[in-house]
Formats: sequence, structure tokens, C-alpha cells
Amino acid sequence: MKIKLNSILVDDQEKALRFYTNVLGFEKGKDIPVGEFRWITVVSPEGHPDVELVLEPNANPAAKTYQQALFEQGIPLTAFEATDIHAECRRLKERGVQFTMEPTGAGPVTIAVFADTCGNLIQLYQPAGE
Amino acid sequence: MLHQELLIRLCRARDLLRDTEDPALSVRRVAARTNMSVHHFIRLYKAVFGETPHQCRVGARLERAKYLLTVSDLSITDVCMAVGFSSLGSFSHLFSSRVGLSPSAYRRKFRPLVRVPGRLPPELAPGCFSLMS
Repeated sequence: MKIKLNSILVDDQEKALRFYTNVLGFEKGKDIPVGEFRWITVVSPEGHPDVELVLEPNANPAAKTYQQALFEQGIPLTAFEATDIHAECRRLKERGVQFTMEPTGAGPVTIAVFADTCGNLIQLYQPAGE
Repeated sequence: MLHQELLIRLCRARDLLRDTEDPALSVRRVAARTNMSVHHFIRLYKAVFGETPHQCRVGARLERAKYLLTVSDLSITDVCMAVGFSSLGSFSHLFSSRVGLSPSAYRRKFRPLVRVPGRLPPELAPGCFSLMS
């Protein structure tokens, strides 16, 4: 058994694909029609090519409730690792991304949190010593 | 930076915009309830949610229309009125251009798939994706 997929709920798959590629800089992996929706994955050019993030529709009412509750409580749905979190945050801010937490030391990591325009907060983290 | 309190005000604004009851609050009044100038509100809303307040409202109305066309017995004119549109022509045009099917074609396609009365069919409420299984 292997862990190869992470998954994130999005309110609009097309909008999500634009944000995760054009703004965050990931690359489109798979894009397969599944009935009314699509199986869309993105891959980080800096990471392992076989670890994919699924942009999953939040059309199930349970998904919407879960996503909205996390967002309102300020809780990120997932986290991405940065090698230079300060540079990454500057780059994203220049592209209009809104942060709910500036880069902040938290024990062995530095973390920051931003809104992904698809209904989620995402954490960036950089392990100490990198 | 977006503080928690501001984030919650934006979420309350989103709730107001998604409320499909008619008459809806204008974007100007939603901005006022959020304690922001209209310009600042629209700019920040777009940056956080990826769409303007107006786009959010239209999107919520079309979502509600899709739901009613699938699960309710309302006529298409009644669905149009129920989600806050006053003109059947503009509703049908907008619905067709965004959804890719006319309201009546949408109903013909999804209505027969309803298995539990009053609930969306699984085709429209996916449960087979990785985390929401």
C-alpha cells in the first residue's frame, strides 16, 4: 500500500484548476470526466511527480458543511511544504492571495495560512533548518 | 492580513449573498452589513472567495434552481421566481449558458435519477471521491 493522493474540496473545479496552476504554480496531472464532475489532479513541479492533489468537488452537502465549518474556524484543510516560506508568501501576495496568518514560528516549523479562493484555508510550512 | 474576525464577517456576507429569498439585499447593503466600503468589500471578497459578490449570488441562485428542478414539482416559471429572478427569459438564458442545458432539459436529465424523494440523486452529490467516500 502507498500514499499517493491528497484531496481537497473545491467549490468550482475549473476555478480551482486555474488557482492551483496559475497562482500556486502546480501542474495539471489528470483531468478525467466523471459524470457531472471531473477527476482533476495537480502535481508540484518541486515535489514527487507521483504524489497528486485531487481537486474534489464539494457538491455533496456534507462536503460543503465540513469545508465551511473549517474555514470559519480558521482551520486549514491541508498543508504544503515550502523551502523558503518568506519568499513564497511574498510571491503569492504579489498575485493577490490573502493570508490569515503571516509566516510565524511554531516550534520546529514556520507556518503561514492563506485563502485558496475555492473555500479553503491552506497552510504553508517550512521545517526549521531548511 | 485577514484577521479571524474579518474572515467571519466575510463568511456572514457570503451567507447573505447565498440567501436566495427575494427580495435580496443589494451588494451595497451586504457591504454595509459587513462594515466595509462597497469597493473594498468587492475587492476583498473576490480575493478570498475567487468570485465577486454578484457572481456568488448568481451562482447560488442557479445552484438552488438546479436543486428545485431536480427534486421539486415546481414549474420552471415557479423555480425562476423562487430563486429570485423576475424574468423567465433572462433566467433561462443565464441557466443555459452557465449549466450547458436549458432548465427543462436539465430537469428531464436529472429528475428521473432521484431515488429518494426530496433528495439529490448520487450523480449530483458525489460520494465516491477519495475523502468523501
